[in-house]
Amino acid sequence: MNDEFEKSLDFDDDPLNAMGVSRKSLVIFFLIDTSGSMKGTKMGELNTAMEELMPEIRRVGEADTDVKVAVLTFATHLAWMYPEPISIEEFEWSRLSPSGITNMGAAFEELAIRLSRNSFLNSPSLSFAPVIFLMTDGYPSDDYKRGLKKLSENSWYRHGLKVALGIGKEANDDMLAEFTGTSDTVVHAYSGGQLAQLIKKIAVTSSQIGSKSMTLSDDTSGELSFEDVSESKQKQLGEQIQEIVNSQDYPKDIPFDSGW
Amino acid sequence: MFDGFNYTVRGESHIASGKVCQDWSDFQSYENYAVAVVADGHGSKKHFRSDVGSKLAVKVTLKTINNFYHNANEFEKSFVKNPKSVITKIQKYIISYWNKEVSWYHRSNPVTDDEKKAFTEDELKAIRMESIYGTTLIAVVIGKDFSFGLQIGDGSLVVLTDDCETEMPIDGDENPANLTASMCNSNAISMFNLFYTFNKPIAMFVSTDGLYTSFGSTDDFLDYHTIIAGQLDNIRDFKEVVLRNLTKRTKYGTQDDISFSCVFDTELINENLPAIRNQIQINNRRAAMRKAEHAARIKKMKAKQAMLRQQPEDEPSQN
Repeated sequence: MNDEFEKSLDFDDDPLNAMGVSRKSLVIFFLIDTSGSMKGTKMGELNTAMEELMPEIRRVGEADTDVKVAVLTFATHLAWMYPEPISIEEFEWSRLSPSGITNMGAAFEELAIRLSRNSFLNSPSLSFAPVIFLMTDGYPSDDYKRGLKKLSENSWYRHGLKVALGIGKEANDDMLAEFTGTSDTVVHAYSGGQLAQLIKKIAVTSSQIGSKSMTLSDDTSGELSFEDVSESKQKQLGEQIQEIVNSQDYPKDIPFDSGW
Repeated sequence: MFDGFNYTVRGESHIASGKVCQDWSDFQSYENYAVAVVADGHGSKKHFRSDVGSKLAVKVTLKTINNFYHNANEFEKSFVKNPKSVITKIQKYIISYWNKEVSWYHRSNPVTDDEKKAFTEDELKAIRMESIYGTTLIAVVIGKDFSFGLQIGDGSLVVLTDDCETEMPIDGDENPANLTASMCNSNAISMFNLFYTFNKPIAMFVSTDGLYTSFGSTDDFLDYHTIIAGQLDNIRDFKEVVLRNLTKRTKYGTQDDISFSCVFDTELINENLPAIRNQIQINNRRAAMRKAEHAARIKKMKAKQAMLRQQPEDEPSQN
């Protein structure tokens, strides 16, 4: 459609013009381990990568999606960086400091509460299931299975696009795959270079896939069902992540765990 | 006296992909009551005739309400005595009638070779006939002594109450977009929500989810209805404005089909017009306040984060 059509829909005497039209929206949740073991290069690289990532995600949202970001950090205590999802245009990264133990199960329970129309997902224009990106460098200190059970009862989580990034060799892939539901969207960063690249590429890729129109390319008649769409998106993300990890550009620099 | 209007606009994404509109809407007004109905066919692959399903859902709902009002005195008496039971009876009648109509349509119009192309034989066999026609449904009835509504699946039901406030008496389902209850579910009757009131609403509105999702907040969505109510004294002219706005909303919003149907008590509209227009002014002030509060909240949050950034990072490691 062109500008003329747009103008033909706007009339000065139209009282309904006072009510703006919202674009489709997507919330990206980052669940970040800020326990003491993240101290040093891991947290330094993570902070820098996240700062650099925000303008890139902003570009994803420019097309036709209103992207919002929510960051939950978990250590001995849980903390939301901002008390509600913030539009990517308004979002500013606040550098994180590590300390304490890894209460990941508590973070899952907190997320289960927030993934609700009555809480963080209260925008009517919310059109896409959320992207949920977990980053951790170790095994949970608490009963993560209890938290995960609560989370898996939440339909936003079940249909969300889930990805997990293990940082260093202590992160447990099996446990992360329990969170994502598939090992294809679990990746490992063993060095600062890998961490920076994975955070950026995975966050941008998952936002792009997450904000794709509900009607996926389908040469048969009609749209796919929501279940088909979320399954297909998760699969697509898995394939793209594997491509990133197996690409020749993937950095092979000094591992975190050497000399730690 | 009662009046109303309805519109259905084809979603921008459906126009782009050459798909039919899967929504349907209608309204009917009589001396004693008026009914507004919308239905949103699911539109996904296995619901390949949901445009027919939504049309049939609207048709059978209007007929059912009409049948129940056939003996108006008797109906009104039993409603006052036991409203929930009467509404549940109406819901059961609608489901049963819709299933009959769908079966009849399906027998008269067997699945075509073209439709079959999208499936393997086993896939097609696995789809229940009713699923092919899957749709949501929302209806409201505004009457002299009572008003009520029923809903299965997503979409919105808004009431302009006698004190000129708008409210949504039925809570939405806690589900991601497009995951919704349906007329085609085998346990559809247990999935209905209902509401009723013995107060006198001024107007009642129903809409498919394409409208709600084009708003940034529920407050804005409700205020939109008050603005429309403020023009209902001149509905013949204002209808066109609503149509243009719905068209704009599907183009710049979620690009879904949008159906909107409204019924109102003309006398109450005329009586309350100054109060409704005053409410619009109040809503405008509230909206401006919400906007200012949001900006202040963001500013405060940023200041707090900036302060935290100033603090030293080193703390003891315990893991």
